[in-house]
Amino acid sequence: MSLTKLIERLLQLVPVLLGVSVIVFIMMALTPGDPVEIMIGDQNISAEQEAQMRRDLGLDEPVHQRFLTFLGNAVQGDFGTSFYHRRPVSEVIAERLPATIELSLVALILALATSIPLGVVAAIRKNSVLDRLATVGSLLGVSLPGFWFGILLLMLFAVHLQLLPVAGRISYQSEIEPITHLLLVDSLLRGRLDAFADAARHIILPAITLGLPMTAILTRVTRTSMLEVMRTDYITFAEAKGLSRRRVIYRHALKNALIPTVSVAAIETGSLLGGNMIVETVFGWPGLGRLVVESIFVRNFPLVQAAVLLYAVTYVMLNFIADILYTVLNPRVKL
Amino acid sequence: MTKLHRTLMVSALALCTAAPAVSAQELVVGFTRDADTLDPANHRNRETETVIRNMFDGVLTRDSSMEIHPQLAESYEQVSPTVYDFHIREGVQFHDGTEMTAGDVAFTLRRITEEGAMGDGQTSPRQSLMGPVESVEVVEGNTVRVTLSEPWPLLPAMLPFQEVVSQDFVEEVGTEGMATQANGTGPFELVEWRRGDSIIMERFEDYYGGAEGIPPVDTACVERAIFRIIPESASRVAALLSGDVHIINELPPHSVAQVENNSGTEVMTVNGTRSFFIAMNMENEIFDDIRVRQAVAHAIDRDLIIDRILGGNAEAINGILSPDAFGKNDELEGYDYDPERAQELLAEAGYPDGIEVTLDVEGAFRDTAQAVASLLTDAGINTQVSVGEGTMLTQQWRTEGEPKTGDMYFTSWGNGSLDPQGIFVPTHMTDARGNSAGYANPELDALLEEAAVETDRAERAEMYQEAEAMAAADAPYVYLWVPQDIYGVSTRLSGWSPSPDSRINLHDACLD
Repeated sequence: MSLTKLIERLLQLVPVLLGVSVIVFIMMALTPGDPVEIMIGDQNISAEQEAQMRRDLGLDEPVHQRFLTFLGNAVQGDFGTSFYHRRPVSEVIAERLPATIELSLVALILALATSIPLGVVAAIRKNSVLDRLATVGSLLGVSLPGFWFGILLLMLFAVHLQLLPVAGRISYQSEIEPITHLLLVDSLLRGRLDAFADAARHIILPAITLGLPMTAILTRVTRTSMLEVMRTDYITFAEAKGLSRRRVIYRHALKNALIPTVSVAAIETGSLLGGNMIVETVFGWPGLGRLVVESIFVRNFPLVQAAVLLYAVTYVMLNFIADILYTVLNPRVKL
Repeated sequence: MTKLHRTLMVSALALCTAAPAVSAQELVVGFTRDADTLDPANHRNRETETVIRNMFDGVLTRDSSMEIHPQLAESYEQVSPTVYDFHIREGVQFHDGTEMTAGDVAFTLRRITEEGAMGDGQTSPRQSLMGPVESVEVVEGNTVRVTLSEPWPLLPAMLPFQEVVSQDFVEEVGTEGMATQANGTGPFELVEWRRGDSIIMERFEDYYGGAEGIPPVDTACVERAIFRIIPESASRVAALLSGDVHIINELPPHSVAQVENNSGTEVMTVNGTRSFFIAMNMENEIFDDIRVRQAVAHAIDRDLIIDRILGGNAEAINGILSPDAFGKNDELEGYDYDPERAQELLAEAGYPDGIEVTLDVEGAFRDTAQAVASLLTDAGINTQVSVGEGTMLTQQWRTEGEPKTGDMYFTSWGNGSLDPQGIFVPTHMTDARGNSAGYANPELDALLEEAAVETDRAERAEMYQEAEAMAAADAPYVYLWVPQDIYGVSTRLSGWSPSPDSRINLHDACLD
């Protein structure tokens, strides 16, 4: 892909982000509920004190004025101060982002590592017991509510078998000097196998819960596309040439069969962001998803606006990556 | 075997081994929500206060039966209706080793009460919790004098909501630095705050011992205390059952049996400070008639709902005040469950065929509201439950005198200080914030205003008893119950009991 194409795609981000910020701002402004009222809770308070609190949060100005201020500051990378944390929103988000990235990556890796072999085996042994199991399993995988499945895993592995911890990212004893802020990576870079094992024990259940729907979808996609590819002429030709079945499947069929899998995976990674909100709550995972949900409930406008913008950028970039991967895997397609 | 293989093998092995041994001296609380900030003056959130309170002590504090005790003050006295003197202890250290002085106390209170004192033109969001404080100054060495612009007997009840900070430290790190660093005088010092995950604290070895009135007066019992954030209640219960944590808050009623039946864990309850009630919109023609309001009160079987839906974890109330509150009127008769009487009252009011109404409720209390609605419907008050989001409902019902829409509202009001003023004034005074019924009784208003500045404690208690009787006679609300706060704890835990203000002070808590 040429550089101009890349720049063109990046420039397309500008109207998208502008649109998203307008929509988010308007939605937050229109949602009933007043952050000051929520903060005061069940207290009697004088009108002056209430006005003072509103002024301190910058809520005394009319909506259009607030929007322009927000936009002007956002362009300069200032997303405002969180109403509750009383610190810059970018700082609060940055603290929670690595946990979400780490969880999503592990979930993605787990999903790819299980779904592709499963899908391939299901396809080449079509109608076998294994194929049926994979089909039923993937149906269950997409339809099980993550919330329920997570708690089930907790009850089994943490409460009954006592093998894994219930919540958190790492035990407090395993302190690692951060490099990338991804604990699994940092512990390896620092040569701390104990900390790596500890972090892995914490991440395994949330990652399985988060990755399950994706595993299910990718298994089905891989199976279907593998079946289609196996019916194509060039595979028949390869078989007719007398190539070993192994060679036909892994060298000739798989590469083409994976094209849809990879692009679906890239797009589905975006949906991991949504799944994070639930999984992070169930497993007390200190990520961004949970923070955003909590912030929506208490009408923490600046934080929600910045986080949604971040989600939008991520989503657009993931789609972009999916497009690029598609062209790499399938040279017939051009962007 | 490649290095990667070896790493993976070792990791897999390590994964299979048990969790790192938890020392007996480490107390972990599975807690619903992370602190917003560590700055005691820059938040407006109960959970934040619960966490902070383990690292910061206050001028005054409460024990688990809500009794007020001097903490960093040795003693205090009311000099006049508007002047209080607090004699501050000597020899108390902040965690950084500097000595706490009366100057720090005065600075703390000024930082909260003075406009713009937080820096950048910002005022502490806790200002309104300090009432009409006019000035705070140090007089005679270690005495801090608080002067009010008008009498406010609530000051001692409200001071435990504030924690003392070091003036030097605040000036050094600024309000930004205060958000993530803690230098208090409390029994634990901050080790690390892993945002969203846990707050790790260690025993402060130079602790002065805490309030004289709350023994033992000593350093904390456990070496380390950790608040681990687990927002989902099912997961919090799982963490307790698996032994990962030793105390959990907000144990859901449906998990009580599970925790009780598990060996090694038990349930602890305490009456909370939140009164539940149904507001009937008195601006509405139907509910303007007291007979209709009385009919609603007679139609609800509170005991049945407490027993069946709340698992017995609530105490019925006949007035707005909690059974534990100061000034509670114990003579109130209340309205018995009597659906026939309800139908008679409706007929007398001109509705022999009953009425059609809606009951607004927040999603969390839908089940309870539905039970209430079916009881009401049985008595001829055909009730539809309408579930709304919390903040939307407060906007609709807390109109401060502006016209209201809606018939009935299932709601509640919390009163962390348990002083009657904190709940009576906002819910019953004409046009007050929480007066969702639109109730207006000038006589009651006058009485509440008088009680607010009455400095004789016994007189004041009597006034609130009279006020409760007045309100009960007018029945603007159906007073329902005060739920208990339910905690799950490990049987290894001793020296800790839940407190109605939902604080979790770990100073005296021990683990065997």
